[in-house]
Amino acid sequence: MRYQVWIIALFFMATGFSQSGLPTAVSDSSRNKGLIRRPEFYILDWKRGTQLKRKPTTISIIVDSIGLQGVDALVDVAGRPVLYASDISTPVCADGECRLMHIRLYWTLLGHYAGFDHYPSFPFTKHDHDEFQSADYLKLHQLLMDNNSILKRRKVEELVDKPIAPKKDGADAVAGATITEVKESIVTGALYSCYTAWHLVHGGVREQIKRRTLSMMDDNMFLRMLDSNNPEYQLFALKRLNKEQYEENYKVIAEVFESGIPLVRTFIIKNLPASFWDSQEWQRPFWECFAKIDINSRSLLLNHLGKSPETVLEDISKQLGAMTKNQLKVFLGHLASLDGVNPSIWNNLRAFSNSKAEANAYIVTHFLEDHE
Amino acid sequence: MQKIRMLLWMLLVSGSMMSQSDVYVETESFIEKGGWVVDPQFVEQMGSPYLMAHGFGERVENASTSVHFENTGEYHVWARTKNWVPGSWDPPGMFKIMINGRELEKTLGTSPGWSWEYLGTVVLQSGTVGIQLVDQTGFNGRCDAIYFSTSDTRPPNSLEKLMEWRKKITAKPDVPEQEQRYDLVVVGGGIAGCAAAIAAAEQGLKVALIHDRPVLGGNASSEIRVHTLGIYGHFERILKKLDTEHYPNGSAEAKKDQEKRDNNVKSYANIDLYLNWRAYDAAAENDTVRHVDAANTSSGKRKRFSAPYFVDSTGDGWIGYWAGAEFSYGRESMDTYGEEWEEWGELWSPKEADNAVMGSSVLWGSKETETKQDFPEVPWAMPVAKQHEEVNGEWQWEFSRNDLNQIDDAEEIRDHMLRAIYGSFANAKKNPENATRKLEWVSYLVGKRESRRLVGDHIFTFNDAKAGTKFPDAVVIETREVDVHYQTVLEDAENPDFISEALFYKTPKYYIPYRSLYSKNINNLFMAGRNFSTSHAGLGGPRVMRTTGQMGAAVGLAASLCKKYDVNPREIYTGYLNEYLKLIEAQKYVGIPESKK
Repeated sequence: MRYQVWIIALFFMATGFSQSGLPTAVSDSSRNKGLIRRPEFYILDWKRGTQLKRKPTTISIIVDSIGLQGVDALVDVAGRPVLYASDISTPVCADGECRLMHIRLYWTLLGHYAGFDHYPSFPFTKHDHDEFQSADYLKLHQLLMDNNSILKRRKVEELVDKPIAPKKDGADAVAGATITEVKESIVTGALYSCYTAWHLVHGGVREQIKRRTLSMMDDNMFLRMLDSNNPEYQLFALKRLNKEQYEENYKVIAEVFESGIPLVRTFIIKNLPASFWDSQEWQRPFWECFAKIDINSRSLLLNHLGKSPETVLEDISKQLGAMTKNQLKVFLGHLASLDGVNPSIWNNLRAFSNSKAEANAYIVTHFLEDHE
Repeated sequence: MQKIRMLLWMLLVSGSMMSQSDVYVETESFIEKGGWVVDPQFVEQMGSPYLMAHGFGERVENASTSVHFENTGEYHVWARTKNWVPGSWDPPGMFKIMINGRELEKTLGTSPGWSWEYLGTVVLQSGTVGIQLVDQTGFNGRCDAIYFSTSDTRPPNSLEKLMEWRKKITAKPDVPEQEQRYDLVVVGGGIAGCAAAIAAAEQGLKVALIHDRPVLGGNASSEIRVHTLGIYGHFERILKKLDTEHYPNGSAEAKKDQEKRDNNVKSYANIDLYLNWRAYDAAAENDTVRHVDAANTSSGKRKRFSAPYFVDSTGDGWIGYWAGAEFSYGRESMDTYGEEWEEWGELWSPKEADNAVMGSSVLWGSKETETKQDFPEVPWAMPVAKQHEEVNGEWQWEFSRNDLNQIDDAEEIRDHMLRAIYGSFANAKKNPENATRKLEWVSYLVGKRESRRLVGDHIFTFNDAKAGTKFPDAVVIETREVDVHYQTVLEDAENPDFISEALFYKTPKYYIPYRSLYSKNINNLFMAGRNFSTSHAGLGGPRVMRTTGQMGAAVGLAASLCKKYDVNPREIYTGYLNEYLKLIEAQKYVGIPESKK
């Protein structure tokens, strides 16, 4: 999770999002209004010209000593929900001293963190009353993106001074490195603000939002999720598509396979209906990604060699360097099981075997010794 | 000289490819290991223990031995070795061989895959010949064997043919030279195996504890340095003899607990401890294990261990595997046992079963010194480490990939982690603030989390933990969260592939039934440790070592009742459960000796 966060941070910087200091925060007058600009910190795609209107829901968050605060849907011009948002004022208390933190939080349709805005006249402050700097807001965003943060499993008191006391019933993943993990993941001097914000974002509101989305789900929403760049949406949709929908949307699914994260790719390759492997047309785009995809996905793709056309074998024989040692053995084992193999494949094997730059050339050399 | 001869596996004539003059030397039998270490972890995959120059970047001292040659003559010389990172760089593990004080020109460790590298010919006089391995790099050069022959026929490279050849030249009979009989044979001296041995010994059983390392504790040992987690359950008295403090994983403090553990196990007169012995076979007749064969990891000497009952605490489930026990590997479909956790979806339990498992760790650490410390360039490590910088390795340093089997590909997994460690440290060393930092320790042992799981009468699942099911035969108790690991590279292909993340599920107190601690189809086989009967997600909680220690103690006591009534493990559940549970309760307290009553 942490690495994904950094990539997004770099993206913001690369796109000039934070080049002129802090990007414009949501204006104070926009409180409780809709959304016509990309939130200050945001993880989903934002199309230029998007206009979202607020629509009240029955979802709410209980904030200590403040009470219920409403969560609204943000809907597009067609009235379809795109996001959920809440303008929250919450007390942040440390050492008996409390102050209010004002934040607008955004959630995806599945209740995951989508982003936040802050108000210029209510900057976040640290324990020593210093205001957050741009890097601090960005770090808070990174923390909120980590739905598996250590903050999830610990009381805030356990994170102060000695973040984790040795516990006999502790967990494998706590151990000595945790102190570093806590320090790295929170804004220095703002543990309580970070802790409060994280638990607002990842609290019970998530389930409420997801339930609402599920109650409104239709095929169109599935397909929009599938065609998004969000892995959570993609997986959510993929898990719910039936065989016919897989077949009808094979082009979109192949595109998601090519551009998706490894977790999405592995899901696709494991769950494609058998009909895909009976059709040269449907399976082709997956093989075309062979050298570009991650190792785990490639291993799963190789499980389908038995139903691949010979053109695929020939293409792979030109990309032997993309495979790991064991993947190469799987491919060569498949060739050995065939009655006949196209001579051009043998030529490609020989060329690879003679290549000094290829670490696994010796495996092909041994194979050729045994089979030529 | 007689002793030296004993240490060598000399050639005796057989077959046309070798002559009486030929000499075959297994490097693990070298008299002086110098800075080289014996690595027996991958015998099942590459054929033998081997010597490795594990110097984390600094050349290690020579390993040396003496060999008796019967005849004067010109000998062709081969060494079985491996370039462990082939590629467009100098091999990281280069070394040379010195014979009678003269270094041979050929640099070894340059061919990919385990194979025989040819060193040319040497003229040797009959009598004693000195051989040394000379490390060139400090980065894990490895040598399995050296072969001197008056013929120019290279020994075979393929493992199958090599094993046949080796059997011929060493002229070893199929049956080990010695056979010993025990009440209980425990294979694997991790915390579970030690606890099993102690519990059984305390009940008067004569126990053999076979372990392939010089020290006990497995993942908790000073060689791997994972601290023990979990609770003591019913077995606090026994487990306190074996467990560790809660120091950071990888800490040198592991050495203190090591001494405690070794001394405690050795204090039992009726435990015969076989350190540096590795089991290599188990034979079953009528679904009953008859014996386990083991070999000394240095001398190659073999023994057969017979007993009415066996405990598989090998971690990889080897005894069960050899005996034909039913086993599982990988992740079950979420529908198999209904182990879905929607919040984490595929990362927790997949829709379709697969062969992904939690990975193995190789722990390591560095320290500040008072002087500038150099660290060599390691271009061969960079394709793995990439830009990652680190000066210590904790539990998150974990590697698993679906094309690699945690057992069959363990050497590649270990080597991948070594590349990750050396590369990340080299990156960190480029930072001026680490100028005086020095690598202090890098394990070379694979600390596995998950591999084969032997199937028992009950398969423990995540749902058993979630529901806190109190089985009538609950013998292990745990309160620790269930945590299942995944590789972060699944979320972003740009992430380092050697870093994992843990997903925690807070459970109530949960129990493991005795029925998960003996084999379903091998009548006299217990299992304790990570290879007990569980699903992938089920293993998420009780894989830690106080919990596996509870399993060990539980089967040790069960074995004593098996002996008492001459029954098999299953019959303890069906016929003697009350007595078994009472015995577990009674062993909590040290008995008063008869003389003091």
